Amino acid sequence: MSGIVRGDQVATDLLLTPDVCIVGSGPGGAMIASRLSAAGARVVVLEEGGHHSKEEFDMQEATAYPRLYQDRGNRATADLSIAVLQGRAVGGGTVVNWTTSFRTPDDVLALWREKEGAAITPEALRPHFDEIEERLGIRKVDVEDVNANNRALYDGCKKLGWAVDTIRRNVRGCLRTGYCGMGCPVDAKQSAALTYLPDAVSRGATIYANCRVRRIEWSGKQARAVVGEVLHPGTQEQTGRTVRVEPRIVVVSAGALNSPALLLRSGLAQGPVGRNTWLHPTVAMVALYREPIEGFYGAPQSVASHHFAHRGKDAGFFLEAAPVHPMLAGLALPGFGAQVTGQMGLLPHVSVSIALMIDGFGEGEEGGTVTLRPDGGPKLTYPQGDRHFECFRASMKALARAHLANGALRLSSLHVPAVTVSSEKDLAALEAAQLGPNRCGVFTAHQMGGCRMGGDPARSVVNPELRHHVVENLFVADGSVFPTGLGVNPMESIYAVSSWAAQHVRSALAKA
Amino acid sequence: METRRHFLRKTLGGAALLAAAGAVPLALRKTRLREPRQQLRFFTPAEYSVFAAVAERVLAPGAADLPQELAGVLRARPAAPAPAALDVAGKADAFLAPLDQASTKELKQLLALFDNALFSFVTGGPPRPFTRMSPAEQDAHLERWATSRMAVRRTGFQALKRLSAAVYYGSPETHASVGYPGPPDELVRTVNASRGRP
Repeated sequence: MSGIVRGDQVATDLLLTPDVCIVGSGPGGAMIASRLSAAGARVVVLEEGGHHSKEEFDMQEATAYPRLYQDRGNRATADLSIAVLQGRAVGGGTVVNWTTSFRTPDDVLALWREKEGAAITPEALRPHFDEIEERLGIRKVDVEDVNANNRALYDGCKKLGWAVDTIRRNVRGCLRTGYCGMGCPVDAKQSAALTYLPDAVSRGATIYANCRVRRIEWSGKQARAVVGEVLHPGTQEQTGRTVRVEPRIVVVSAGALNSPALLLRSGLAQGPVGRNTWLHPTVAMVALYREPIEGFYGAPQSVASHHFAHRGKDAGFFLEAAPVHPMLAGLALPGFGAQVTGQMGLLPHVSVSIALMIDGFGEGEEGGTVTLRPDGGPKLTYPQGDRHFECFRASMKALARAHLANGALRLSSLHVPAVTVSSEKDLAALEAAQLGPNRCGVFTAHQMGGCRMGGDPARSVVNPELRHHVVENLFVADGSVFPTGLGVNPMESIYAVSSWAAQHVRSALAKA
Repeated sequence: METRRHFLRKTLGGAALLAAAGAVPLALRKTRLREPRQQLRFFTPAEYSVFAAVAERVLAPGAADLPQELAGVLRARPAAPAPAALDVAGKADAFLAPLDQASTKELKQLLALFDNALFSFVTGGPPRPFTRMSPAEQDAHLERWATSRMAVRRTGFQALKRLSAAVYYGSPETHASVGYPGPPDELVRTVNASRGRP
């Protein structure tokens, strides 16, 4: 059987014996499926999320977040101090991300080689990036296509003389409706579900949607089986059917947080599994403008400033915009009562800009840790320390300055209670406001690390070829292998690193 | 008052606090009950009532300190629907029904603690359950949780606030009141129809 199989189409317990079993169908898993099926391998992909078409994307937040995000949109650190936006569907995060496409910065790859003994070079990745950009229609945004929400940040940065540019997006025939985060309703976004996964299916791969993998069975140096349970596509409850896959090679591509959790559930605790998890912890400022901004429409992200990406010993950060839809805004605005409802009444006049901390580059910085919840899911902790607080303060001041320069009436922070900034002199209050867990809203849409690649088995989970240090027919190919944050949105890097790693999976298969 | 709060911080960890509150049946706390509109799948009637009372204050309208230049914008908006009119607590109940066992236990303990009269008293509030406080007392209670030095209370506030706001602003009935015209359904239909043609 080839194609995409939904949970309600699985009528009996399944026993499958493909060459390769891939866990997860986001950019990592989709790429491995495409490359391995092209090499003639028989491929099975197991995906916990559902398979959805554009007709199901109704552009309603109340539908989209429970359906297309991890933990039905409620994923967060254990103390709720960092809200985690992470996709869950056939196509993974590529179904819901905001299309921002960057190549991995060369200096980040250099650091991975120097510090961890990673093998990837910019030269090695270049042909992969070239192919990916062609396949996904990745093109730079014209400045006239930038919506007012992004334009406010762009113009503010320009007025201050800060580096800022339009970004590249993976779209074809984009209407700029503004609903990337809820699944593209016109199939303009070139997600994995429209590109690399259909490519793999056309070469005989089978994708089982609604299939939750519980564990990998292994003994000695060999993974023997991947065991999962089938979920009902509507209720997400177990149907009672099970899946057992006995492949020659296993590739874990469940994404940061879920990949380390799967290894932990499987008793594969060798190395720093779950540790060194990076999030690009993100703070935001809410700017109010006299003229309507209508940040709910238009490409959600089309500009970025990396002016503050390198700040010496302090953590760098980069600036982008975020879409302004009612549910996400209502969640994010601090406090309660009039503090929320009053500001919500001005939603069309709101511009939201975000600053993403580039984590993982500080001396001794450890990042977050994934352990297991009682139900086996990932429990994430991510302590915020002085390095974060310094970065958050600098970030919020930079965002405030950009919008003040652009003529915003005033800004407010996501501190509890919010700090209001109407002029340069108010920045001192922003500096002084208390930070810490649940004292100021922090988010992440970029999850990385937890199964670090590297040469030293004591410091890493997979080797420089992304093969597990202990289990020889097990690979990890997704953002979890990144030794640090990236300093750019990670989707394109995950595709490219996985495409590069596919050669090693192929070699292993030839020898298996 | 400060001494009582200090004592609590010193003696009780967050998890122990939640567990202690959860050990006392909610019914003993004299929660002011509300009638659920439909069969509950997650909350008990008492929990439903606590959550409904929280949502009412989290989403209460009021005079916000906003720029004068935009005062006219707010006056032009239709009134926001009351959380009860949208049955925010009932919608939250449906949303929470599939929650895993461990999270279910934590959330139920949180609701019990939030409505616990004794806990309110020892943390500087009135000796009444949240559901029996005046609106001003309820706002002060929420404020104490939101800005507490005890991390577990700030977490608890965020859990209740975010769920209330998500259910409320995720409801299309609220969109006119915030000036959101909604998604461009017609445009999407037209484009999909035209792109679908051979």
